[in-house]
Amino acid sequence: MLSVRNISKKLPDGRPLLRDISFDVQKGEFVGILGESGVGKTVLLRCINGLTKPDHGEVIMNGDGNPEKINEKRGKELRKIRRKIGMIFQGSILVKRLSVLENVLTGGLGRMSTVRSLFYGFTDGEVKRALEALNQVGIRSLAHRRAETLSGGELQRVAIARAIFQNPHLLLADEPVSNLDPKNTEMVLDFLKPLTEQMAIIGVFHVPKLVSQYCTRIIGIRDGRVVYDGAPTLSDHDLERIYGAGKTVAETSIN
Amino acid sequence: MNILKRYSSILIPSTLLALLLWGGLKVCRVDLTVIIKGIPRGIELFSHMFPPDWGKIPGLIEPALETLQIAFVGTVLGGFLSFFIGLVAAKNIHSIRTLRDTVRVLLSAERALPDLIVMLFFVAIVGLGAFPGVMALVASSVGMLGKLFADAIEEVDPRPLESLEALGATKAQIIHFAVLPQILPSLVANTLYRFEVNIRMSILLGVVGAGGIGFYLVTSIRLMRYQEAMAAILIILVLVTLCEKSAEIIRKRIIGQEILR
Repeated sequence: MLSVRNISKKLPDGRPLLRDISFDVQKGEFVGILGESGVGKTVLLRCINGLTKPDHGEVIMNGDGNPEKINEKRGKELRKIRRKIGMIFQGSILVKRLSVLENVLTGGLGRMSTVRSLFYGFTDGEVKRALEALNQVGIRSLAHRRAETLSGGELQRVAIARAIFQNPHLLLADEPVSNLDPKNTEMVLDFLKPLTEQMAIIGVFHVPKLVSQYCTRIIGIRDGRVVYDGAPTLSDHDLERIYGAGKTVAETSIN
Repeated sequence: MNILKRYSSILIPSTLLALLLWGGLKVCRVDLTVIIKGIPRGIELFSHMFPPDWGKIPGLIEPALETLQIAFVGTVLGGFLSFFIGLVAAKNIHSIRTLRDTVRVLLSAERALPDLIVMLFFVAIVGLGAFPGVMALVASSVGMLGKLFADAIEEVDPRPLESLEALGATKAQIIHFAVLPQILPSLVANTLYRFEVNIRMSILLGVVGAGGIGFYLVTSIRLMRYQEAMAAILIILVLVTLCEKSAEIIRKRIIGQEILR
């Protein structure tokens, strides 16, 4: 469904960040991307939905039978593909002065005509689906609260509800749990996991132990290259390949 | 020597300031005795103003409303235009640098021009009346609000904007759902403040030919109908006070309520 082929990206100062990264992702997969901080995991995710342009290589999205190269698209065509790709960011990216429900509804903006959205022309059906999405992550009762009154865990659940409402083929999650306590971390991942029935998820994570628990596959990145691509259970040897010598599962399992 | 050095940092500037002030007072012919001698004349003028010509008050309502309308239309049009100009002038929204810089330069040039001169400029174009008054207020409102809005837009949290971009929203949608909610308090507060400024400006513009209560006031003083002038002054006091109070109420309703919600 998604094909990342030979992606390379240099930092602004010319140092190579990503070198020749390739992988395919199918519907139903929950891919966890691991690697030391600064290795370019976030940039890789941003290359997938075109927020960052790779220097070389292509990203091909094939959600409904006709493959499209994301890295070559601009403007309207790029927006059309982005509808099918959801993204959850590190920390909250919600509009704090809007209500929780309105934030969820913005997940549908890609499908709406600009004129309709400027008049807040959300249909009853859309509002109903947005409320169902909130129900799915257990915070329907917060629908009419302003986003700024929510806690970190709740905000991240709103972000998931927005992704559910958007209903993409592919969901990108950039360190979705890095600011959360263990309890909220588990809750957020528990809400993410079942979404793989309808879509593929690619997530960037810090904690290998969590990834092993929830993901169906791990891609490890070191020095800009894929050094591991396979089963979610990692041996000490695998961890060493990803994080360098001297680290064990216990040490990298912070939190 | 040491003492001289210590005091020179205070003595030199204060001597300079005193000299400048003294020269200025001379040039402007500021003379307390003239004021004191003039007091009886002032009292006489004031006594001519009383009692105010109450009978003229009903006839003053219409010019007062005209003044209010000039301020209102000038503020609404100016605020509306300023929002779009602010978008063009904000780094994080508009990417064409030359256009952005040009708008910023035009805005600061407008702010440098006194409103009365802008008014005279529009009088030259469209003639006397309320219309050039409205145009002058629109121009000076845009000069101030355009810059304030542009700065407010540049200070918004960029992450919600990017997250909407990521899911395929158009620029107009991003502005509506991520930028506008963030700058709304600044939009409301500054536009209302500008309305309070504009109501005073509108009175002053009346004096130089924009009609309304200001024009009425200056005419009655020239014709030495001081009791009528006093009535006009009272109406102006009421008008300005009412405008400030209602601006305050609107501000509280829109911004205050949002904080509570």
